Amino acid sequence: MKFWLKIFTFSIIIFILVFNATSFIVIQRNHGKLLNREIDNALSQNKNIHSSVDAIVPIVLIYDSDEYEEKVLANIAKGFVGKVGDQGVYMTITNDKGKAVYNNTDFEMPIDLNESEQVKEDEIKYILRDVDKRTILFTSNLVKINQKNYTFTYIKDITSVYKEHADQYMFYLKVNIIACSTYMLLMFVVSKRLTIPIYRLNRTAKFIAAGAFAERAESGSKDEIGVLASNFNVMASVVEDKIKDLERLNREKQLFIDNFTHELKTPLTSIIGYANILRTGKINSSQLLEGLNVILSEGKRLESLSFKLMDLIQLERSEFPLKELDFCDILAEIMPALEMKAREQQLTINLHCENACLRLEKDLIKALIFNFVDNSIKASSKNQSITIRAARQGQNYVLEIEDEGGGIESEHLDRIFEPFYMTDKARSRRNNGAGLGLSICQRIASLHNADINVRSELDRGTTFIVTFKPGGTSP
Amino acid sequence: MDKKILIVEDDPNISNIIKMNLTLVHYQTVQVYDGLAALEGIEREKFDLIILDVMIPKLDGFSLMEQIRPKNIPVIFLTAKSAVFDKVNGLKLGADDYMVKPFDGIELLARIETVLRRYGKDESEISIDDVRVFPDKRLTTLKGEPVELTPKEFDLLVVLIVNKNIALSREQFLDKVWGIDYYGDTRTVDVHIKSLRKKLRLQDRIKTIFKIGYRLEV
Repeated sequence: MKFWLKIFTFSIIIFILVFNATSFIVIQRNHGKLLNREIDNALSQNKNIHSSVDAIVPIVLIYDSDEYEEKVLANIAKGFVGKVGDQGVYMTITNDKGKAVYNNTDFEMPIDLNESEQVKEDEIKYILRDVDKRTILFTSNLVKINQKNYTFTYIKDITSVYKEHADQYMFYLKVNIIACSTYMLLMFVVSKRLTIPIYRLNRTAKFIAAGAFAERAESGSKDEIGVLASNFNVMASVVEDKIKDLERLNREKQLFIDNFTHELKTPLTSIIGYANILRTGKINSSQLLEGLNVILSEGKRLESLSFKLMDLIQLERSEFPLKELDFCDILAEIMPALEMKAREQQLTINLHCENACLRLEKDLIKALIFNFVDNSIKASSKNQSITIRAARQGQNYVLEIEDEGGGIESEHLDRIFEPFYMTDKARSRRNNGAGLGLSICQRIASLHNADINVRSELDRGTTFIVTFKPGGTSP
Repeated sequence: MDKKILIVEDDPNISNIIKMNLTLVHYQTVQVYDGLAALEGIEREKFDLIILDVMIPKLDGFSLMEQIRPKNIPVIFLTAKSAVFDKVNGLKLGADDYMVKPFDGIELLARIETVLRRYGKDESEISIDDVRVFPDKRLTTLKGEPVELTPKEFDLLVVLIVNKNIALSREQFLDKVWGIDYYGDTRTVDVHIKSLRKKLRLQDRIKTIFKIGYRLEV
């Protein structure tokens, strides 16, 4: 059963029960009051008659004539019935022999009424009886005159009370129908309105389940459903972000694999191809030398690629304990190696270092500096210089490696940290470059909670800026 | 006249290997290292076949393929990716064949041969010394006189000619002449080679290469 239908049905059932119970109680109470009033009226009327009869008893006693007696009583009765003046008011007077002294009824007296005739003196009894289609109230009392018992029965037709009762029921039935239909209509609208946000939420959930992760629910209202919708949206954004992260990661992985395959297959093709042709082909000595050279250099390239790749894999998997170390000490340790490498290309390295203790992993930092400087050396031409600056800048400690080389075109700047990305493939290959150095640097930087930025101007040079943020713990 | 083949490959080493392989079997080669240079080359010269790497700078192989299709030059794709998509894409664009790196030189020659034959560009007549071979007619002559060769001997001679100056192993000969399902002895090859040498007087041309196999040297 749908939720709006539940709200609708249950509220209507409750409404009908309460409304009808209330109506019933009210009608019954009104009816009871009305009936009691009629009965009280009849009884007091009967008493009046009784007292009137009592008043004339002494006179009747004087005459001591049954005939006169009955005439007088009939007159009294007539007087009362006439005096009340209403229609539907009747009276019977019967003596103890059962003979009617007075009777103005226009209906057959019910037989079972006789039981009530066994009234004692000075006692009034009443009884309700349905006669034909009428409801009639009988009140009887016994008057003793001259050792004779007379039963006075004052009769009132109270059909109207019952008719009123039935009318009220009819009226309430009509009211009931109108009220219920109005209520149903309102409840239908209300329950629908209440459940619309749920439906919307539901629809959004379905969209998201179908893969539209950017879909969001409307969360207009401030009630529980509104709160649910906004929490749902929070959840959806978290999921969307996670999915986007996963997709990006997946794309990066795929790109990595594609590039890796390419980088692996190219030297392999050369090595296998040359080896095979040297083995089977009718070749001269210069071709032999050419082939052997290619096999050697491509083999070296593969070796360098595999080392770099192992570094990268190691970095992805391992946890590195960071220690408080002086940055300049580390720089000083690798300077000889860097300078030797620079001298080979007839380059000079300038070093400016401000002592500072940072939380570092020594070997990784060495690798980072080495990769950057190696990069700079490859970018530089003869007699240029490379500058390494390490100094505090406010809260941060900043390492800059600057060269005077050709610079990097802006179209490449965003991508140089991608694994296997090379701005100049031919030159990189000559230097056994695999395009992994900067990826390794970036990984090392992120392990040290450091950012890498690049500033580059064509024909002016490139500066790599590594910013170590305070509290440099691995993320 | 030797066939002229354009090699479009950005890696100089691979380009050189292809060149070396093709030169050995007497194809002329022109090497270019990017897509635009390839396009210029095709405009300038007439080529019998193009060997095209998919991942090349400036203009990638697929785009280049679309531009040169009207010229109706046979193309063999070289690709490092073995993804099915690339193969389908390449063949759909009108490439005649493709090879996935790292590839075998012999295999490349076989494919070039097949593609050229499909285009009717293979030679109708081949001569080695006094021997003339007419592949279409399956006819061989020595000094103008027809020589009786068994069908397998003739097939073996064609394989030797196609891979001239390159040594093939006995297993490779078995594969190419008797088919991959043949479980015969490799000595079958020796017997047929011996017979070819004798019948066509090619003792000096068909060399036995120690620990490898045989090579037709031209």
